[in-house]
Amino acid sequence: MDYAAQTAHLLIREFPQLIAGFLVTIGVASAAIPLALILGLLLVVPRMAKSSAIAGAAIAYIELMRNTPLLAQIYLIYFGLPLLGLYPSEFTCGVAGIALQHAAFMAETYRGGIESISPQQWEAARAIGMRKLKVLRLVILPQAIVRILGPLGNQMIILIKDTSLVSAIGVMELTMTAKMAIERSAASAEIFVAIGAFYLILTTFVGAVVRLAEHYAAESN
Amino acid sequence: MFNVLIASLPYLLKGAQVTLWLSLVVVSLGTLLGIGLGILAAIGNIFLRTLITTYIFALRGVPVLIVMFLGYYACPALGFRVNAYIAVGAAQIIYIGAFVAEIMRSAIASVPPGQVAAARSLGMRRFTVLRQVVLPQAARIAVPPILNNSLTAIKQTSYASIVGVWELTYAAREIVERTLAAFQIFLGVMAIYFLICYPLSLAARWSERHLLVNH
Repeated sequence: MDYAAQTAHLLIREFPQLIAGFLVTIGVASAAIPLALILGLLLVVPRMAKSSAIAGAAIAYIELMRNTPLLAQIYLIYFGLPLLGLYPSEFTCGVAGIALQHAAFMAETYRGGIESISPQQWEAARAIGMRKLKVLRLVILPQAIVRILGPLGNQMIILIKDTSLVSAIGVMELTMTAKMAIERSAASAEIFVAIGAFYLILTTFVGAVVRLAEHYAAESN
Repeated sequence: MFNVLIASLPYLLKGAQVTLWLSLVVVSLGTLLGIGLGILAAIGNIFLRTLITTYIFALRGVPVLIVMFLGYYACPALGFRVNAYIAVGAAQIIYIGAFVAEIMRSAIASVPPGQVAAARSLGMRRFTVLRQVVLPQAARIAVPPILNNSLTAIKQTSYASIVGVWELTYAAREIVERTLAAFQIFLGVMAIYFLICYPLSLAARWSERHLLVNH
């Protein structure tokens, strides 16, 4: 059999497992993305607090998350929690690790958007008697989010690529499936090229959706 | 409680040394590669441009871990018997090169074309225009994202441990397997990474504030 036929044969044989892994990857990403978006929002409130103690604590968390590798954070959760008597699944640990780090990046993105809104809007909304959180929710955020759709989308794409790290703690997602497929067969590079294509399709698709959303947001303004 | 961390510190610092070397090589070579390709993508002919934008598109869309595995497995398959450090390091250089190339390409594209036309009409050669008019302005825009990209690249060297390359994160896992002191060791490791990354992070923020000023 020549090389092309051999490779095709191999990929067809491994295809069902790779698709199963791909679905788990999508599962990890779709669990971690909303979590990171919400945690980031919860983080930006203390980050922008007037009290320097509260803001300081938020800054410390954000800087720690931004300046250490995600892999070390995932290991800390996965190997650390059992010592506290907690035994979450690999999937949960992976999703938590990814969401906790990306929340820090999301918070910084939100902050950039919020700070880009004119402070006079704050003052106007406060002057008519709205509470701070209500101003944020009803006046500032709706405008800020439209402005940061692009950066938020880019962060989501980075998050999707980061899901490959949960293979290190044994989640059977796309990267892990590829490793297993390689252990079964002699071929290796071919499988990783195929896996790369899966990721490329996913990130390109999300990138296109983000650009579409940006386009609509710009038009509706 | 942190005795175990103190006892393993020499071993971790040896790992940190490897991480630092790996980071230094990957960041400097990857950035150089990216700057070169980014300039070529901005000024080259259509063939070169297509080639480089395809490279940028393909690499930026996949996880670095996949590229590391590919380097690790493909090198021997292609007949190169290199050690894991070179295979994984090369993979990472090629990976972050794509990001820097895109940063550089878009920075050059953001210089108004009128300036190039004006400089050309003054009789400046193409190369002189690039060197004296385009690149100085593009560099101001490109430096902050390139610094942020270096930060990401340093953190990503830890992923090499998954492929089986011995560095700081790998060393930490070895110690945790022996001592089970996951909290102390991984917090210690995060502290070491933080000490390496935070100065760069500050530099990136400083450059954002001082280079990206609207004139």
